[in-house]
Amino acid sequence: MPEVFIDGTRYEYDEEKDEMLLQFILDQGLEVPFFCYHPSMSIPANCRQCMVKVGTPVKDQETGEYELDEDGERKIRWFPKFQTSCSTRLQDGMVVLTQESSKEVARAQKDNLEFILVNHPLDCPICDQAGECPLQIQTYKYGPEGSRFEVKKVHKPKHVDLGPRVTLDAERCINCTRCVRFTEEISETHQLTIVQRGDDNYPTTAPGEEFDDPYSLNTVDICPVGALTSTDFRFKARVWEMNQTPSIDITNGKGCNIDLWTRDNEVLRITPRQNEEVNDYWMPDEGREAYEQFNENRVDRPSIKLDGDNQSNTSWNNAIETFAEVLEANDPSDITIIGSPHASVEENYAFNKFFNLLGVRNAKFTPHVIPGAGDGFLITDDQAPNTNGCRVINLDEADDTSIQSNVAAAKVVIILSDDLVGREVLSTSDLDNPYTISLATNHSKTTKASDLVIPITCVAEHAASYVNIDGRIQRSYPAKETKYTNRRLNLEMSEGRLDRFGTNFDNWVSEENKVDCLPVWDFLNKLGDRLGLDFKYDHSREVFAELSSSIDELQGISYERMDEENGVQLPIEQKEVKA
Amino acid sequence: MAQDWKSFEPLLIPDIPNLEKIDVYEENGGYDALKKILNDRDTWSRKSVIEEVKQANIRGRGGAGFNAGLKWSFMPDPDGGPRYLACNGDESEPGTFKDRKIFEFNPHLFIEGSLIASYAMTVDTIYVYIRGEYLSWVDMLQEAVDEAYERGYLGENILGTDVSIDMELTYGAGAYICGEETAMLESLEGKRGYPRTKPPFPAQNGLWGRPTTINNIETLANVPLVINNGADWYGDIGAEEHPGPVLYGISGHVNQPGVYEYPTGIPVLDLINDVAGGIRGGKDLKAIIPGGSSTPPLRADQLDGVTMNSDSLKDVGSMMGTAGLVVMDEDTDMVDVLWRIAHFYHHESCGQCTPCRDGTGWLEKVLKKIKDGEGEMKDLDLLLDVGNQMEGRTICALADAAVWPVRHTINRFRDEFEERCKKSVHAVA
Repeated sequence: MPEVFIDGTRYEYDEEKDEMLLQFILDQGLEVPFFCYHPSMSIPANCRQCMVKVGTPVKDQETGEYELDEDGERKIRWFPKFQTSCSTRLQDGMVVLTQESSKEVARAQKDNLEFILVNHPLDCPICDQAGECPLQIQTYKYGPEGSRFEVKKVHKPKHVDLGPRVTLDAERCINCTRCVRFTEEISETHQLTIVQRGDDNYPTTAPGEEFDDPYSLNTVDICPVGALTSTDFRFKARVWEMNQTPSIDITNGKGCNIDLWTRDNEVLRITPRQNEEVNDYWMPDEGREAYEQFNENRVDRPSIKLDGDNQSNTSWNNAIETFAEVLEANDPSDITIIGSPHASVEENYAFNKFFNLLGVRNAKFTPHVIPGAGDGFLITDDQAPNTNGCRVINLDEADDTSIQSNVAAAKVVIILSDDLVGREVLSTSDLDNPYTISLATNHSKTTKASDLVIPITCVAEHAASYVNIDGRIQRSYPAKETKYTNRRLNLEMSEGRLDRFGTNFDNWVSEENKVDCLPVWDFLNKLGDRLGLDFKYDHSREVFAELSSSIDELQGISYERMDEENGVQLPIEQKEVKA
Repeated sequence: MAQDWKSFEPLLIPDIPNLEKIDVYEENGGYDALKKILNDRDTWSRKSVIEEVKQANIRGRGGAGFNAGLKWSFMPDPDGGPRYLACNGDESEPGTFKDRKIFEFNPHLFIEGSLIASYAMTVDTIYVYIRGEYLSWVDMLQEAVDEAYERGYLGENILGTDVSIDMELTYGAGAYICGEETAMLESLEGKRGYPRTKPPFPAQNGLWGRPTTINNIETLANVPLVINNGADWYGDIGAEEHPGPVLYGISGHVNQPGVYEYPTGIPVLDLINDVAGGIRGGKDLKAIIPGGSSTPPLRADQLDGVTMNSDSLKDVGSMMGTAGLVVMDEDTDMVDVLWRIAHFYHHESCGQCTPCRDGTGWLEKVLKKIKDGEGEMKDLDLLLDVGNQMEGRTICALADAAVWPVRHTINRFRDEFEERCKKSVHAVA
């Protein structure tokens, strides 16, 4: 195996991978500061921050043996200049000194940071990036203590709306060109470029053009300073006030891995979470805008239609009693249940199983596909996160007409979390005759047309799994509390800074913004109790455990395995999702 | 050689009226070198052309002074795909204005040279990148190129052989950085003029990822001389380690500024006093910049016996550069001069690399402060320190070029700078 020596330690490397020094250093868990380098994009080596000292051993030209000095050590020929480790290819026998072992290198990196800060406004106290800013972090670690710059800084455009979603503060920009390379190499819209020259440089669009790239907000994530900020999230919250919870994008079939950022039981923003099997570092802007549906327009407390079209909130007891009476009053063959590609595997399974126990026919579901909506990258024609999940647990896949005829023939229709009216599978009048019960997260045309609406938890409130269009099963975690959960007790919830370091006096647990809703299985437990059914799940973990023992494709899969492997590819053939 | 420069007959721009016309050029032996090669390809194989040019040791006239033939030999073997010669006529460094003389007075010599170079390297397309401000010179060269196409020196099957070479002219948009060879390639590709990281070098991965050689206009104009007269003849002209005729662009406080062709190795003081007619107004010489603004300036008292070739200039701590000599008389304010140079590099930094982008501006602003009488003594050391932090830490050499004048002007004229700081409003003993 070829070898390199980094700060005196020997490492072996794989020649096949053709890796650059910086990536190799990072892979070893070591650190060298950098800004412009990004593992998924080309290497411009323009920030010059990752400079290290590099040498190669001297070989005797005839024998090919390493030449040795008096002490029997290999003779090293040092490069006359510092090398940017991001653009330095590994070479057998290469000797590398980083800032850890070389004062020269540490000084060079400090010098470079001094230059970067010369024209940076240093407005961290009012900058959204503060707290998650590579420039801030690396300046603390490697930067100069003060500045010798006593003349005027360059002034550039501030708060420029580059497009509908991204705001630019050009003074903060350090010209790493990550955003430009993103639009060139990843989203391929070529919407951004650097304009001006020298220290007047900044990224922007062509004159009169908008930065309306469907992936534009990724540039905000990869911006190593606060130059590009999310117009929506700007000034909403400090990074350290929020909790970061891993989850899955539910706005389309790709199932991009995401993080939900919450404060006081509100999701404030969504950012992509790296998973090279699914979305690499990226996600579409559309998926980020979905955070509002976790906070706004939620079905809060059960509601019931009393007279005409007026719905009125009711108690859980009354809702359960009404639900049970409807079930008791009707023959199971007159009841149609409709599962949902928008709901998780566990919800669909528990939902279907519960009504199967009552003798109701298997649940149907209809895929939610808009042909041509996808782009072959991270936006799919499939508008739902769990179409394959419904197939794996053997719900009956139906087209719109078959759903319509089923509804027309039924006396009771129970719909799980799917706005069938909104997406024009059904019309409001289709639901006039049958008694319609919706289990829903948000108000929609379907809930409006329903006789009884049961509020259920959304992806941000429960642990559940989803199977994406490529057949990969991935899970979500509860990110915000409901009226009946508590972050102090819920071990699934991620810890924020206050969870970890707050005291009882910090008053960090908020009662605000809690939605009065239940996970589907939990509600069905209660309904089962009332009906005397043998149906009991304490947690979605139990639902999934049952699934993995009964369904071939899910064998050997558990939440733990999904956690460890960042999702698991199921042995299913990728079925075409058709309209 | 140094003494007999007075008897030297110009070779690059000989005193022949209308030499820019192809008829006149042909009458005076023009395109003979190309014919010589293409008509006798057994003697003049591609390899032997490169070998001859390498032997002649034409040092690149764009400033770096690299052996042109050696550079050509870096091109990989042809693989059937396109290969390019990119000719650098972007000269835009203060003090440098020589290539336009070739475009104006002897364009065919350059065209012939670039054709020989293209033949030697199996290049099929020549791009000529000309400084954007030289619009009329672009037209002049275009006329010559059109003539050469008409006579069959350019285009398909040149002189009836199977050699086909095209030449395309293009011009910059006013950025000094596009004279840096890889930035020029980017600009030719229609992109922002950002220098590329090396490796890969242009010979491997140049224009559109294809093998490319970049030569200065004047360098290529020397090539037909070598082919016509042989490497040994060429090597005898001027200084031994840096032979050949050079276009000296002399500007500043002299009586007759202009472009003069003489061999390398001519004494600097002869160049000023005899060639350029001495210092204006009979004043004393204070300093020179020998080869364009990036080369370190020299004090008058450093110039005794110094000749215009790389070794001699290196001995006194400067460089040949582009042989664009800037002459400054005794009344010159060196603080002002240095600020003006720093202003140029600040304005022309492309902004890609951190040290250059923010360093050049810092240097200029501190110099402005000193110039305006607000400097402090500590600023002088700060300038030197900032320079040290920039040098050698960027992708291209613009940062180095910005630092050298600052470092050497301050070191060589420190009294003047200190005096200015002492008089300043912030003066501290």
